[in-house]
Formats: sequence, structure tokens, C-alpha cells
Amino acid sequence: MKIGTPKEISEGEARVAMTPESAGQLQKLGHDCVIEAGAGEAAGFSDAAYTDAGVAVVKTAAALWKAADIVAKVRPPTETEAKRLRKGQALISFFWPGQNEALLELAKGKGATVIAMDMVPRISRAQKMDALSSMANIAGYRAVIEAGNNFGRFFTGQVTAAGKVPPAKVLVVGAGVAGLAAIGTATSLGAIVYAFDVRPEVSEQIESMGANFVFLEFEEAQDGAATGGYAAPSSPEFREKQLEKFREMAPEMDIVITTALIPGRPAPKLWTEEMVGMMKRGSVIVDLAAERGGNCDLTVPDEKIVTEGGVTIVGYTDFPSRMATQSSTLYSTNVRHMMTDLTPEKDGIVNHNMEDDVIRGATVAHDGEITWPPPPPKVQAIAAQKPKEKPKELTPEQKRAQEVAAFKEQTRQQVTLLAAGAAAVLAVGLVAPASFMQHFIVFVLSVFIGFQVIWNVAHSLHTPLMAVTNAISSIIILGALIQIGSSSVLITILAAAGVLMASVNIFGGFLVTRRMLAMFQKS
Amino acid sequence: MEFGFTIAAYAVAAVLFILSLGGLSGQESAKRAVWYGIAGMAIAVLATMIGPGQGLWWLSIVLIAIGAGVGYQLATRVQMTQMPELVAIMHSLVGLAAVFVGFNADIELGRVAAAFTEAGLTFPRPEEVTAAGAAFARDFTGFAAIVAKKTGVEVNILRVELMLGIWIGAVTFTGSVIAYGKLAGKVDTAAKQLPGGHLLNAGAALASLVLAALYLGGAGSWTLILLTLLALFIGYHLIMGIGGADMPVVVSMLNSYSGWAAAAIGFSLSNDLLIVVGALVGSSGAILSYIMCKAMNRSFISVILGGFGNASGPATAIEGEQIAIDVDGVAAALNDAESVVIVPGYGMAVAQAQGAVSELTKKLRAKGKEVRFAIHPVAGRLPGHMNVLLAEAKVPYDIVLEMDEINEDFPETDVVIVIGSNDIVNPAAQDDPTSPIAGMPVLEVWKAKQVFVSKRGQGTGYSGIENPLFFKENTRMFYGDAKASLDSLLPKIE
Repeated sequence: MKIGTPKEISEGEARVAMTPESAGQLQKLGHDCVIEAGAGEAAGFSDAAYTDAGVAVVKTAAALWKAADIVAKVRPPTETEAKRLRKGQALISFFWPGQNEALLELAKGKGATVIAMDMVPRISRAQKMDALSSMANIAGYRAVIEAGNNFGRFFTGQVTAAGKVPPAKVLVVGAGVAGLAAIGTATSLGAIVYAFDVRPEVSEQIESMGANFVFLEFEEAQDGAATGGYAAPSSPEFREKQLEKFREMAPEMDIVITTALIPGRPAPKLWTEEMVGMMKRGSVIVDLAAERGGNCDLTVPDEKIVTEGGVTIVGYTDFPSRMATQSSTLYSTNVRHMMTDLTPEKDGIVNHNMEDDVIRGATVAHDGEITWPPPPPKVQAIAAQKPKEKPKELTPEQKRAQEVAAFKEQTRQQVTLLAAGAAAVLAVGLVAPASFMQHFIVFVLSVFIGFQVIWNVAHSLHTPLMAVTNAISSIIILGALIQIGSSSVLITILAAAGVLMASVNIFGGFLVTRRMLAMFQKS
Repeated sequence: MEFGFTIAAYAVAAVLFILSLGGLSGQESAKRAVWYGIAGMAIAVLATMIGPGQGLWWLSIVLIAIGAGVGYQLATRVQMTQMPELVAIMHSLVGLAAVFVGFNADIELGRVAAAFTEAGLTFPRPEEVTAAGAAFARDFTGFAAIVAKKTGVEVNILRVELMLGIWIGAVTFTGSVIAYGKLAGKVDTAAKQLPGGHLLNAGAALASLVLAALYLGGAGSWTLILLTLLALFIGYHLIMGIGGADMPVVVSMLNSYSGWAAAAIGFSLSNDLLIVVGALVGSSGAILSYIMCKAMNRSFISVILGGFGNASGPATAIEGEQIAIDVDGVAAALNDAESVVIVPGYGMAVAQAQGAVSELTKKLRAKGKEVRFAIHPVAGRLPGHMNVLLAEAKVPYDIVLEMDEINEDFPETDVVIVIGSNDIVNPAAQDDPTSPIAGMPVLEVWKAKQVFVSKRGQGTGYSGIENPLFFKENTRMFYGDAKASLDSLLPKIE
């Protein structure tokens, strides 16, 4: 199959859906690659680099659409582009079928197959082609960089000769992929980061990234698992509680990054005009939800504004495109993984398996039919949240009581053991003659010493321990040596065999132990 | 006079042996401790040879010299990966020697009794010593002299002791031979039993008891021979029924048995040094077995009574897929990582990959990365097996840590490389109560940021349990022979 990538038409779009690297991987699957001249220019990939990777470069978009069996691009097709689709051709791109129904009709009419990268289901297996996540990751990172660009101070606190600098305080609202990326970037720059999310189960992830989870005392916690890993709209009471918390935090925060989105709905308004007013002069708000109306009341999509109070509000919607090289690399890898699943035999023949959860979910038009929305996937996105039982904090008295009980238990065990042991020894002493008891006492003491000594042996030396005990258990040679001088030939022969075997063991055991121990070296 | 000297020498030797075991508490003191053991053994042997009752010392010296030659060859030629086999086969020698010495004691007993009867005197010695009997007894030398002075009760105790020595020795002998075969791959490692299973063992043990009673009743030496044959069978059948994964327990158990056999023989010969050393070795092996069982969260009985997977519920199905990664991916992750933990297992020993592992460690450490090793107590086929292999490959021992020392550090670790281990990193032990290994302490590698598993193929481990670790999101499978994989990885670390 021939996979082609045209130059993106949308204004300001710098990304490209195929890089020389991904083209190499696609060729390994048995596909041919073709690209429109200048398609990778804005992302930093020259035509020459593509040619070197074995990609055919065609001059015009029209020629490319004609040549390719599968067209891979980033943005949803424009009407002109969609009209170029033909029967049997496939398109892989972001599509947003929910918002672009006319476009979907058009593609269906043309009989083309459309695979929407934004419809890849959120299951573990499909993570490698989850373009939304990879783009969100970049957006989260870039949001912090943009904030820093517009923020007049350091992120990290410093004590310098010229005075003390307090660390910046950053609040991240919504701990999805973008939010977590923003948390990671901000903490690594040295800021104090707070993060909020309506899904309590992500608190662990937030804390693992080094941020403080903003905890909201509220009865009905949401279970994010029910909605495929995305947040669901919250009740008015919950929202009220949440805004109250934000109001409390607003004067403290230097940078606020909002990433809250609910699938299929406008972005929830979480940062009100009032809160913006409470923020310090010079503070920055970056609204990653700007494309869907913004989380902040004052956000203007695609623009950066400064309020009267001196708060900068960044409403850009093209964060991934601002890092075109990185985002193209990741996006093209997502597309490549999609192709890997589509060509299971690696023979360049596409097997569009509609039984496969991932392929079925992402395909929105196929064989002249609209196949959107897909049936629910067979595999749950994330495991249902397990009810957590927190171990109760013990009071000092309880702890003390526990320790005492443990000590008593230990004493009781030891005393029982000693008593039983002593009773056994005494019982033997009652019946056995004195000559036996002399040896028996030696035996009991030796076992005792053995137990005391062996517990202290280092774990790493267990093999040498076995070798050395092996060598010294050949002390049995003494028995054979005593008997070898007997006047009976049979005894002498058996004893001689015993001496021979035991001495093999003595020398072998000690030598091998020495060999092993000599190898242990300190760095 | 001479006798007193021997006893004194034995006391010195016993102290040296105790010091030699105690010295194994640290790597440096251990190097000195071996010399204590060697000195102790030399003193004991010399004192016995010049002591009373010894004849044919020239023959003894020749035999010891031959034994030394064989032992030297064995010890210098053995590969460190074959250490479990060597230890097992050496146990069998101790067991067999114990059987021979025990039989000798029985023969000597019979000879002394015959001599007394011939002289018209009663044997065993009656409570009231007759002058004639005492005079006659004085004519015997060596072990026979000790036997000749025994009363009836003492002779019976002697018989019990030598029976115990022979029985334990025989079980140790066949058990060790089978363990050797399994470890060396010469016998099928799966748990196999004759029809009848443990009933056969129980039957044989019961028959042994009956024979023992007959022997005490004076039925003659044939009972002893039959008893030995039964013990040989028990040793064979018991170890055949234990799977390869339980070998660490088996080897340390046999270690313990060889000690108890020596102690029992020591009783019958009235030799205190044999008793002391036998008890030391016996308790050492018992403690090792206990530690191994604890590390697998299994009781000693369940290990002895059978392999893994006999009484497990249906395993919880695992969702997801095993994602493979190529050498470039691993190299890239290692180049970016700050802290790396390597978890070696039996697979590393099989592939002889310890040299490559050491090379990798050196390269990573030279770049200023923190590299450590996590050793599970039952990794490998012998307690402490991995430590020895890594030491052989010149990995410094202070970066090789035990499970308890490192388990809490995994969440802060960037990359974990699992080389040839499976069950000891299986999260099902913690998450899945129906798993056959539920409750076994495991290395929590999945908490690290990234895990690479070097493994030959997609199969399950020794125990046949599916490992959910391989399906985790942060796990990548690095398929291929461990040594070949690491060798191809080395040039890419820069």
C-alpha cells in the first residue's frame, strides 16, 4: 500500500503526519511512502531528509492524494481535501466526528474509510496510538513554558547574594495527561505545585509527580473508571465546594494552568472573573481548554490578553504545533503504530479488522457506511477503583500496648520452647545411662551453638556456607580412620572407601569455598 | 595419656569449626574463617591418626592423598554456575561414608560378641563386672575396646544410633544423587512420583521401623541391610517428587541430613567431635531450609510433599499484551536513567550471562549512574547462588542487596532489568489470592518507572504460573538469550 502525507493546509499548523523516521518504520511493514514537497518544512524535516529515507516526494497536493492509497495527516480534512477522497482510499487523521458530521457524510459519500486518531479507545493496548495523549503531553509541557515566558520571576526559590527569591506557586486544575505533564514540568523547574482533579483516584499520580493534591472534603466521590478514564460533569454542590476552594487559593497562586475538559461538552468554567481579580499583579493563567471555550471566564481563544489587574491570560489553542518537531515525531509514531495494527502480517497489505476493539473504535466511516459512534469496547479502560481501607493511626498507648503484647508473646514462645526442650532432655536422661548422657549434652549444646551462630551468617554467603558445612561434615572421616585398623578385612575395605570419599569432600569443599570467597570484592 | 591428647585436640578443632561458621557473617571475615575450618580439620585428622586404635596409617595417608587429588580437580574445574550440582554430589559422599561407617560398627559389634561367646563369657557385659570379662575386654583395641565395655542398655543404644546414622546417611545418599541429576539436567526436573505417591514413602518408613525393632531384638544383620535399601528408596522417591523450583530447599535439607547422619555416627562411635560437628552442620542446614521456605511462603512439609501448582484455584485471567522492545529502546532508556536495579535469576546462570551483566554494570557506573542488584532469597538453585555468580563476574558485593534492603527503593528507580527471573518478581503473589504463590514475598519491581524483562520467549517460569508483570504498562519484554541480548546492548551504552 502507498501511504501519503500532504502538507497541512490550516493556517499556523506546523506539524506533519510522517517523519523520515516513521517512514522508515512504515517501509519495514511493507508499505511505500510518498510525501508532498515541503510538508515537513515547518516541523524541521527537509525534503532531502525524506528522499534519503526512501520516501517519494511529489510536487502538488493533488498528485499526492491521487497517488496514495492511505492518506495520513494531522488536522481534519478541509472540504476541498475531503472531496479528493475516493472509493477504497483510507484517511488517518484527527477527525472529531461529533463536531464534523457534514464532513463525515462527505467521506461516506465518497466511499472512503476514515480512521479518526481522536477516537482511539483508551485501553492499555491502544496507548501507543493514543495521539490525544501524546499531544496533550506536549501541550502540558508547553503550557508551563508559556507561563514562564510571561511570568516575571523564577520558578525555583533561591537565596542569592542579591536577596531571597521565593519559589513560584503553581496550581494545575485537571490532572489528565496534559495536567500531569504540566505538573512534572513545573516541579522540575522548582515551583511549588498544587493540583486538583475531580477524580480522587488520581491523587496518587499527582503525588507521584511531586505535586500536592488539593483535597476536597466531599461525600460522593466520582469513580472515573465508569467513564473510560475521563471526568464526568459534577453536581452543583460539588462545583460550589470546588469554587470555594479555588477562591481561597487564588490570591496565593502565581501561575494557574487549567486543563479541565469533559468529553462532548463545553469546558467547565472553573476560574471565575472574581478569582482573576483576586490574583496578584504579574500572575499568569494558561488555559489549555481554550479551544472548547476555556476554563477561565476571561479567556480569549488563540490570544494572549492582560487584564486590568495585570494578570496575563494565555488562550492559545495550538500548543502542540508550537513544538512542531516534537509533536510531529510523536504523532507520526502514533500513526505508525496504527498502521502496524492494520498490517498484522507486515506484508504491506492492510487487513481492516472490524472485530478489533481499537480499529473498530477509531474507524468512523468504512465501506460507504458511517460507523460512528462505535459500540462500547470489550475491555474496560481502567480497573474499577478498589475501596481503600486506610490502616488506622494508632495512638501511642495502643502502640505501646501492642509492643508489650508482642514482647509477652515472644517471651511465652521462648519459655514454652525452652520448657519443652528441657523436658525432652530430662526424659531422655531418665532412661538413658550416664555414658550416653555425656555425649547427649555435647550434642544439645552443639545444636544450640549452631543455631546461634548460623542466624548471623550473611544471606549473600549462603552458598559458601553450604560448601564449608559440606567440607566439615566430612568429619565422618574420623570414624572411618578409627575403624580402618580393624583386623577384619571387610571392615578395612568399607572404612577405606569411607576415608577416600570423605577426603574428596574435605579438599573439594574447602578449596571451592576459598575460590568463592576470594571472588567477593568490595567496590 | 594418648587418649587425653586426642580429646584435647578435638576440643581445639571444635572451637575452630565454630569460629569458621561464625566468620561467615561478613565477606571479609569469611576469608579468614575458611582457614579456621581447614586448620580444625587438619588437627582433627592428625590427632585421630596418631591417637589410639589407629592402624594402617600408611593406607590412610595414601587414600587421603588420592581423595585430595580428586577433590582438587573437582574444586578447580567446576563452573560457578554448577555450584548447586557440586554441593549436591558432595552431600551424597558424606551420606555414603556414614552408611559405611555405620555398617562397620555393626560388624565390629558382631565380632566382639562372637569373641566373648567363644571365650565362654557373657556379652553384653552384665551389671556386675566379672574379673575374667574385664580382663578379656582389655585385649581388644580401637573401636572394639569401646564396644567390649558396654552393658546391655548401652549396646541397644549403640544399635539405635548406628541405625539412625545408616538410615539418614542412605536417604542423604540417594536424595543427593537425584538432586544432583535434577540440577545438572540429567534427570527430569519436573515433580514425578511412582503410583502410590507419598503412601509409598510412608510405607517404606513404616517398614523401616519394623525392621529396626527386629534388629534391636537381635534378628541379625540382614534387617540392617534391608533397612538400608528402604532408606535408599525413600531418598530417591522423596527427591524425585520435588520440582526444580524447590531445589534450594532440597539442597539445604540434604545439607542438614548429612550433618545429622554424622552426629548419629558420632554417638555410636562415642566420638564427641563427630557429634559437635554433625550438630553444627545439621542445625545450619535446618536454618537454611527454614529461611528458604519462608522466602517462598511455604511450609517445609508442603515443599517436601510436592511441587508447585498442585492445589491452586483457576488463575485470574490477565488482560493486555506483552510488548516487546528492541535493543535500541533498552539502550536509550538506560542512557537516560539515573538509577538502575538489576534482578538476576536462574536464567542468568543458565545463559552464563553474569560476565555481560558485570560489564554492563561497569559501563553504567562509569557514567555516574547508580546501579544495584536485588537478590531474592530463592533466586537460583542454591541459597546465595546469585551472589556467588555475581562475585565471580567481579560485581562488587556492596551493590548487591537483599530483598528487604531494596524493596522500598523501587518507586524511586528509573529502570529495572529483570534477567532470567520470573516467580520472584510476580505481582500475583500480592494481588491475586488464588495464585499458587499468593503470599510469597516478592521483589516489587513493577513499582519502578520502567521494567525490562530479558527472557527467552513468552513461556511461563519454572512453576508454570502466568506473570502479570509482563503485561504491565511500564514493562517491556526484551526477548532473546540473556547473554546475546546483553552483548548486543553493551556497545549501545555510551
